Amino acid sequence: MANGTIPAAPLSPAVFAILLSLAEGEKTGSSPTGLGLWGGKHGYLIMKDAITPEGGGVRLGPGTLYGSLDRMMRDGFVEESGVSDDERRRYYRLTSLGHSALAVELERLDAAVASARALGLLPHGSRS
Amino acid sequence: MKPASDDADRLEALYALVLRLYPPSFRETYAPAMRQAFRDALHDRERPILALASLVFHDLITSLAKEHLAMIRDTLSRPTLLFNALVLAALATGLALALAVIPQQVLRQGADDPQIQLASDAVARLEQGVAPNEAVPAGSVDMARSLAPFVIAYDDEGHPLASQGQLNGTTPAPPSGVFDYARQHGEERVSWQPVLGSVYGVRIAAVVQRVGGPHPGFVLAGRNMREVEIREDQVRNLAALTWIGMLGVILVGTIAFGWYFRPKTA
Repeated sequence: MANGTIPAAPLSPAVFAILLSLAEGEKTGSSPTGLGLWGGKHGYLIMKDAITPEGGGVRLGPGTLYGSLDRMMRDGFVEESGVSDDERRRYYRLTSLGHSALAVELERLDAAVASARALGLLPHGSRS
Repeated sequence: MKPASDDADRLEALYALVLRLYPPSFRETYAPAMRQAFRDALHDRERPILALASLVFHDLITSLAKEHLAMIRDTLSRPTLLFNALVLAALATGLALALAVIPQQVLRQGADDPQIQLASDAVARLEQGVAPNEAVPAGSVDMARSLAPFVIAYDDEGHPLASQGQLNGTTPAPPSGVFDYARQHGEERVSWQPVLGSVYGVRIAAVVQRVGGPHPGFVLAGRNMREVEIREDQVRNLAALTWIGMLGVILVGTIAFGWYFRPKTA
């Protein structure tokens, strides 16, 4: 994928979970750094978010996480916030391209879910 | 259940050791953060230690493979490096082909040497008026089994007059095109496979020479190529092994060179 473009193919589960986790942190404004401003999320917080059903249910280990973050930084989806409460912790946040990529992926998933619902493939009462 | 502090330190130290398996550039950038994430997970009371061990084990296998492949891909995707590697691979391929073809040709041509002498002598005797039965050496050679050279004299139509070589009790003749060529050029050297079902696969290194004079005809001197073909196979195998070895050295060398002279990132 070229740097700075939104991929046409669906995102990998790991990339999707990381984008979702960072977007969630930005939305809720939680500040793990304790510095009062949204300073991004560090690795373990992203791992914890990713494994929850709401976060994608993806089991991310440190190697997969930082490998994905490395490629996502090269693709321009995330950046280091430069804020840290510990020299070993690195904090990441979404870029505008990362927001767009997540939005495109969510729309794709939403369309798939809507289609499945229209076909009666989803059980009654399931969440959308 | 969470490990005691000493155990946690030991596990973290072990994880730090395992991190050395990652490619250097990746390790230099992310090892401290990965170690911190592992430490955070160790101290997370919501995450059982067994679940963490399973996660980290699986993660190590997949991410180690992925990062090493990414390193190789990054190295090989540098145009100059890739071009140099391709040029070297082409040279290695050319060299391996030469190693296969040149000895094979030398072996094949060397297999004709006794036959050239035998055919020339027989032709000389026939042209001096010696009878075919006397011009052809005495004795019988089983063309399928024996590695001894043999001589066959044919008339101008390609019918055998006298033969030292036998194949299933008969005297075979090469295709008429061989005689036509020898008629025009004086001599033909061919790998002849007699088309007889029971001896399929017998190949003869044959030299056919034209007999002039009042009783024109041909002399064929031949020899079973079995041993020569075994040596040709050995040469081919050695050349193939050499080729694979050279490609391996080029691949490893390219990766090592690309890594050593990799662009430095901030």
